[in-house]
Amino acid sequence: MHETPRPSSGKLAGLAGVLTGVATGLAAAVVAGAAIAQQFGDHALGPLLEATHLPPLLTPPGEQVELRYDVYCTPPSAEQIDEPCDAAGAVFARAGESGPFRELPLVRSDGGGLVARVPDDLSRSPTGLSYYAVIRSERADRTVTLPGGGAAAPQRSLPLQRATVVRLGRHAFGRVRTASERVAEAAWGAGPGQVGLEQGRNLSPIGGSSFDVDEAGTIHVLDQANRRLLRWERGTDAPAHVPLAVDGTLADLEVGEDESIAVLETAPQGERGQVVRLFDRHGTARGTVRLAERGSALRTGPAGPVVLEHPSGQWMPAAIGGRAVSPAEQRRSGTAGRPLRDGAEVVLLRLGNELRVAHVARGGARRAWLLSSETSLAEVQLAEPMGRRLVVVVRAYTDERSEFLVLVLDDRGIAARFAAPAADWAETAPLSRFRLVGASLYQLGSTPAGLFVDRFDLEVS
Amino acid sequence: MRAIRGFVAGFAGALALAGASAASGYHTQFVAQNCNYDPPTPTSYITRSGSLTVALYGAREGYQWAGGCWNDNNVDDSPGDPPETPGTGGEGPDCSGFTFKVWREALDTSSTAFHQWGRLRFVHGPYVAADFKNAVGAPNYPLSKPAAIKMDAFASTGHIGMIYAPNADGSDQIIEAKGEAYGTNIWTRTYRGSSSYSGVRRLGWS
Repeated sequence: MHETPRPSSGKLAGLAGVLTGVATGLAAAVVAGAAIAQQFGDHALGPLLEATHLPPLLTPPGEQVELRYDVYCTPPSAEQIDEPCDAAGAVFARAGESGPFRELPLVRSDGGGLVARVPDDLSRSPTGLSYYAVIRSERADRTVTLPGGGAAAPQRSLPLQRATVVRLGRHAFGRVRTASERVAEAAWGAGPGQVGLEQGRNLSPIGGSSFDVDEAGTIHVLDQANRRLLRWERGTDAPAHVPLAVDGTLADLEVGEDESIAVLETAPQGERGQVVRLFDRHGTARGTVRLAERGSALRTGPAGPVVLEHPSGQWMPAAIGGRAVSPAEQRRSGTAGRPLRDGAEVVLLRLGNELRVAHVARGGARRAWLLSSETSLAEVQLAEPMGRRLVVVVRAYTDERSEFLVLVLDDRGIAARFAAPAADWAETAPLSRFRLVGASLYQLGSTPAGLFVDRFDLEVS
Repeated sequence: MRAIRGFVAGFAGALALAGASAASGYHTQFVAQNCNYDPPTPTSYITRSGSLTVALYGAREGYQWAGGCWNDNNVDDSPGDPPETPGTGGEGPDCSGFTFKVWREALDTSSTAFHQWGRLRFVHGPYVAADFKNAVGAPNYPLSKPAAIKMDAFASTGHIGMIYAPNADGSDQIIEAKGEAYGTNIWTRTYRGSSSYSGVRRLGWS
């Protein structure tokens, strides 16, 4: 017969210790949980300070310049969330791009935001003005500087002197031009030669979220849902597949002159925020760049990929010569205009049915256009120099219809114009539907059947 | 000595057990463990800035189809919920529930009253995206898209997002609950010009 050993006093002490430890541990967990619940409870509001600003990037002569900021901050309580934000601050402005900044007070506007009126001597400066704002909320105990680079990379406002005035009239929907050639197409799917589609009962279709075209006419489509790049060499029907370690969500794409691949992931990566992923032409990862702010578009600048970042509303370099640029350096390098490969910039501002565009060459020489339309204008998908001309693609829309207006602008006005279909059944990265290579304009389009890339030859004498 | 060793082992074990229990619960039981069904607080007026502040507190808090409850730690506490399942009880709103709560609407579709819902109040509201697109419900009004300003919305049959701020290039920054893989946040979108989307405005802004 087996006899149960009698526990020693030492073992009893150990058992008592374990039981006490378990009780104390559970009590500690409950207390900690209650503290977390209290911290994130319905009536506890964490610190908040956000500011937005639409910069007057291009101003016609005589236009009064006001710098308006919408500011959102921690309310006194959850029940007083409609009380005006307690934020205050100042704008620091100067004529041109050098010299000391002058402090301009930000005062509360009728709409509850903050506004600074720019003195005439600054707003009438032939070199425009540069400025930044510093806004502080005592209640949130936070300060924001906008744009993020402050004095190192202030926002710019350029005068639209001697702008070519273009009246577009009323857009005639339904008269779209037939493409010169369909250069790539693929059905939706996950198989060879197909393009993946993100969709579900609670998600609008998203697919082939961006594309690019190189000088040789090779088409690169970001098949983000299948985590790969599809590459159509000129004259081939079937694309090559390049696996890419991307997240599989909406992303923008840019292919460099050395065929390196940059992907702007738009879904934040946890605490790292948004990133740009760098790959070589074979899809081998070459680095990941953490963005300073929210990125909305990716293009190639003079030394590598540049990203349009918000809330600064500036183009910032993501990598220079293949080297990742730190978030702080991105902020210090922001520019209002999109930097082109040749060092020039394109600046644009859409206000209602008016579109202001300027091409600023590296030496500062400027050509500008002031376009007005009787039909509503939405986003500018493309604004690229083509020799002495500038090609602009802007969406014209009503509540029911939408088409892209392709404009070839020169010093006299419109050298050529036509309409392209919206072809936007599937959602893409916001500003990724057109690319210009030489005198060929490419459009990324989609239907319920699949995705395609069309080429329009811009025949301008 | 044995008692001290036992205490330490028991304490550590209990903490680990509590932590593991909470972690496994987050994926499917965020609502069950954190949310409430408190009545809303009526309020006499709402402003666009106030609603935008409500929305900003919901940003970065995840996405849950048919959801409507979130905290304020800027983390999706139930990441990776199955996207096709509305009842997984995860953190965050879906697009229409987010709009309902940010616009501070009432459950009664015939009411234009302003109701302040707590972040942790689990409520989706009576509307899906297509309802907003079609201006179903007394507080929701069809709006010509060119007139849309901050806190107006663009809605399709499957999605809705509210305007946060305009961009210089003519696109809009939209605050929206986009999907499980995206969460709830601010993105640049081109809904304004897309013929899939209609404009909709909440009535009664002060």
